[in-house]
This record gives sequence, C-alpha cells and structure tokens, in this order.
Amino acid sequence: MPDFSEIFSLQSILNYNGGCVVAMRGKNCVAIACDLRFGVQAQTISTDFERVFEVGPHLYIGLPGLATDTQTVFQRLQFRIKMYEMREGRRVKPRTLMAMVQNLLYERRFGPYFVEPVIAGLHPTTKEPYICALDLIGCECEPEDFVVSGTCSESLYGMCETTWREDMEPDDLFECISQSLVNAFDRDALSGWGAVVHVIEQDKVTTRYLKCRQD
Amino acid sequence: MATEVMEVGDYMRDPRKHHFSPYMDNGGTTVAIAGDDFVMVASDLRLSRGFNIFSREQSKIFGLTPKTMLASTGCWADVLTLNKVLQARLTMYSHEHHDVMSTTAVAQLLSTMLYWRRFFPYYVSNILVGLDEEGKGVVYHYDPVGHMEKLTYSAAGASVSQIQPLLDNQIDALNMKNVTPPKMTKELAHQLIHDAFISAAERDINTGDGVIIHTITKEGTSEEKIKLRRD
Amino acid sequence: MFLTRSEYDRGVNTFSPEGRLFQVEYAIEAIKLGSTAIGIQTSEGVVLAVEKRITSPLMIPSTIEKIVEIDRHIGCAVSGLVADSRTLVDHARVECANHWFVYNEDMKVESVAQAVSNLAIRFGDSDDDGPAMSRPFGVAMLFAGLDKSGAQLYHMDPSGTFLEFGAKAIGSGSEGAQQSLQESYHKSMTLQEALKIALTVLKQVMEEKVSGSNVEVAAVTPEKGFHRYPQNEVEAIISNL
Repeated sequence: MPDFSEIFSLQSILNYNGGCVVAMRGKNCVAIACDLRFGVQAQTISTDFERVFEVGPHLYIGLPGLATDTQTVFQRLQFRIKMYEMREGRRVKPRTLMAMVQNLLYERRFGPYFVEPVIAGLHPTTKEPYICALDLIGCECEPEDFVVSGTCSESLYGMCETTWREDMEPDDLFECISQSLVNAFDRDALSGWGAVVHVIEQDKVTTRYLKCRQD
Repeated sequence: MATEVMEVGDYMRDPRKHHFSPYMDNGGTTVAIAGDDFVMVASDLRLSRGFNIFSREQSKIFGLTPKTMLASTGCWADVLTLNKVLQARLTMYSHEHHDVMSTTAVAQLLSTMLYWRRFFPYYVSNILVGLDEEGKGVVYHYDPVGHMEKLTYSAAGASVSQIQPLLDNQIDALNMKNVTPPKMTKELAHQLIHDAFISAAERDINTGDGVIIHTITKEGTSEEKIKLRRD
Repeated sequence: MFLTRSEYDRGVNTFSPEGRLFQVEYAIEAIKLGSTAIGIQTSEGVVLAVEKRITSPLMIPSTIEKIVEIDRHIGCAVSGLVADSRTLVDHARVECANHWFVYNEDMKVESVAQAVSNLAIRFGDSDDDGPAMSRPFGVAMLFAGLDKSGAQLYHMDPSGTFLEFGAKAIGSGSEGAQQSLQESYHKSMTLQEALKIALTVLKQVMEEKVSGSNVEVAAVTPEKGFHRYPQNEVEAIISNL
C-alpha cells in the first residue's frame, strides 16, 4: 500500500491557508515566531497575516491552521481571557492559558477548530519560561526545548533539532529561532513571505520583522 | 448455498472496486555532499514498513562504477529491481563500448530508465553521486519519473524535509547575512551528515539504527559506520 | 577468383565447400566499381575526400553526396552502391542520436562502426526485427570521427568487417591510392598536410582532371566538428598541388 498520507495531508483543511509557528525556550527567556503568508492552497493572497498574538504580559499564542479558525479561536480566547481577568482580578498565567485553550478546543471535540496552537510566555511571578503546543482538539505537549506547528513542521523539527542549544541568551535565541523558521519555510510552498519574531524577556519583549525571500 | 451464488449474475451485483496497490514505503534516508575533489554519500541503516522494523543493517547505497554510487530509498522491491537493471545496463555498456561509464553518462541513463516507466514508475527516490570527467564531486537528484537535477548537495527519502533546510542553511549559507558559504571539506561534510542524521533519527521513526558514509576520491572509496538511536 | 564459380553463389548465407560466401565477395567486388574515397587521420582531426563522377555535362555535380554527417563529431564517406549507403547512414545517425539521448555523450567512432556492421551483416535472415535484406550491402564506408580517444578513421566493407586505419582509400582507384598513402602518411601530419595529400592522391587516381566541382572534401576537427570544405577552398588547395 503506498503511503499517500503526506499527499492527503496536503489536502487537509489544516493546510488550506498555509502558515507555521515555532517557539523556543532560552535562558530566562522564550521566543515565538511565525510566518506572514495567507494563501488559498497554492495561491498567495496576502503577506501580512500575523498568526501570533499577544494575550497577556509576557504571554503570546500562535494559531497556525485554517485562517478563519485562527481568527475565531483568537477572538473567543480573548473573550474568555477578559472574563477570567475581570472575575479573578489578575492576569492570566501561561499554564492557565494553556488550560483555557484546551478547554475551548475540546468543547469542539467532534467538529474541531482547525488550528494547532503554540503558547510561549514567562510566568508572571516566577518568570519561569514556558512553551507548549497543542493539537487541534487540545492535547498539550510541554517539552523542554522547542515546539513547532503548521505546514512546515517537519522542516522546523529538522532545523530546531540541530540548531537549538540549552540556556541560550536572548540574542542567540533570536538568531536560532529566526534561522530555523526562515530556512524551514523556504522549503515549504505554503508558508513564508516574511516572518515575525517575538523574544520575551523578563523586562521587555522585542518584536522583529524579518526580511526573507518572497516566493 | 453454492447454487444461490451462481444464480446471482455479475450484472445484478453492485459495482465492486478492486484495489491494486503495488507499492510500499520502506522508509530510509540518504544524504550526499560534493566537494572539489571528493563526494560523500550516506544512508541510514533502517528498513521499515509502518511501525515494523525489517532490518537495522540495510545500507541503501550501491556502488555502480569505481567512481559512481547510487543511493536509493522508497519501495525496497523497486530499489532492488532498479539497481539490478541498472547494473545490467552498465555491464552491457562496458561490453559494447569497451569502457567504464562516466558519472555523467550513468546520470543520464538513470533518468532515461526512470522515464521509460513514466506510467508505472519505480517508487524510488534516487541520489547519484560520483566524480565527473575532471575529478570534481557531483550529486544528481531524481524524482521517481526521471526528472534530474545536478547539485552540490542533496537529501532524499523519509527525512528529506528535516535535513534539506539544514543543508541549505549550513552549506549554501542561505538567509545568513555577511556569511560566505564555507569551502566544503571532508571534515565539514562528515560533520553535517552526522548531525543531520542524528536530528532526523530523533524525530522520524523511518530513520534510525545507524548511518553508513561512503567517500569517493580519486584514490578510491572508503566507508564508515556510525551508530544512531534504535528506538 | 571466379573460375570456381558454382551453385554456391546463389544463397547469400550459403558457404561454398571452400568456406567462402560468394555473395559477400561479389559485394566487395562491387566497391571496386565505385568512385574513389580517401580518409586520413591526423592528431588535429580527420580528413575525407571523394571523387565525384560527372557522367554528363547536364548533371548538376552538387547533387552527388558521398560524404555525409552522422553526428556533429562523426562524418562518413562512401563508395559503391551509394543508394545502399543511405540505409546504413540512417542507421548510424539513429544510433548516435539514441546514444546521446540515453547517455548524454557522443557515441564512440568504434561503436558507430560496430552498430552499422551489425546492420550490414543482417542479410538473408529474417527475425522479429523485421523482413530480411535479400543481399549484402554493396558499399564500403569510411567513418571519420573524434571521441574520448582522439581522432579516428574506421573502414567497413560489405562483410561487416571494420578496422581502424591511419589512412585508407576505397573504390575504383583504391589500390593505387592506398599505395600512395602508405608512402606519404606519417603520424605527425597536420590537417592541412592531410588535405593536400588526400587531393594529391585523388588527382593521381582520377581519370578526370581534378577540380573544385568533381571532388567532395570534408573534415572532422575538435573545434568545428564535422564540416565540408566549400568549393573555393577546395580549388585553393588544388591550385597549390
């Protein structure tokens, strides 16, 4: 039996609009980055579609997948975060956000949102770096090193696995995540066309837009 | 019972679809890197189907001539058959023309052979490596129906998407500002192949167990085996 | 030679009791009726020169074509039944094109000679490849070409035998011409010298007075591949003989 699963996955609704997100842990810092392409299958529609959003102090979420669900999930998540913050009178912590996303996604267990979120942030009090990825029904994965998601996740795994080192300083972390992302999506027709990188440190967040090949 | 079945004519039954699936994916990854006076080609040693491991000692590299080697992954039955036919063609050539085939000639022959099977292809990803007429290392990459591209490095097989971007970055220095591509040496090629396979084995279940690296220079060929994770 | 003529010269594949194939021998005889053709191999390339028999003043000499291109790197001169040579030349061209298609390289001159020879001896039999030829081809050919091992000249006769030569003459004047070539040929010859010798020898053996219109001259060189010499250049060489 030929293994056509890769071909079918190209047909998957998760890959309909393209796009990818990667997050990495560093020394007292985390970074999260995404590409900027919004397309309809092979056709590129726009190149300023950010799929990583700020949802709290030192807290970001990336939502690669079907673009309409990227927006819907983000809006519904924002609603829940605001309700939480009003009820609780405090900002949401990374793990709490992860639980909220899990809950939101699993509610649609049999008619899921086609997004596979990535969360990156620092704990508000302990400043502990946090990264995590979830699948489209909310199963989490919290590794020590990096998480990837989106149409070029395999390429991202290859890049990150070789370039990631423990305890990187913010500058090194930026270089590592940028090179991983850009070189990975250069081999993917469905993502690319520019990138945004957020490096989250205890006292600041640095957001940079990367120049890269436009094809 | 039997008579009952007989009574129902074929034309009365629902149309039935018969599946013919002649291909199998046996995993495996290959990488090749060329330098000015050498070429290095490597493959992992795992032969698998789905979650089953058939072998932990199966190289996917075949020596064709003293200066040419072929690395093939995909459907293992097709890999073996293609290689057998190719070996036969090589022997026929040397008898007919009293000469060993050059790497460029083997490259074209392989492309032609693959295209002959355009409508029932060999399910194989090939990388052909060798030294050209000037003794320079060359790498040819093929798709299953014979599209051929001449390169200085390439990956193919199960973990191609993990390894290829890494080679783009580390060999061609793509997306790096103020960095000139490094001069390819045997040491660098060896290091890159080693790193690439370790990363691939980490994330891809179709790659693992070990790597075999062949080096071709004008002095001859050499090989080396390195262990990889076996889970 | 023909005093022993017998019934054994009917079937093209029937040996005589002395072990001879008469039809093949007759075909070789047919070459001796053809116009003279000469090939000379040098380190700079190979020269081909043939005589054109102008049998009538009303004939247009340029329509006689006895030197043909096989591939960019191989030329061929023929003598004998020129019509027969068309089949062989076409076969050689197909083989060269196919070799390029499959191997992306120029076919060796020896391999071309071998391929043509394979066709030339397929007379009298019939197999899956198609109907048989009823008789041997009545032409001899000179293959001049360049490959990995340098400039080469091969001669092939109707028996399919092919051999490499430094210089070779075929056709009606071949005996005298070959003798002259043996005297004047040497390995360190330049292409210009070879051209001059080729035309000198032709001049010796031709019945007509040699001119720009009754000889055909071509060469194969590393720079230009197969190329013909235009009439004015041929005349220039003749005037210096």
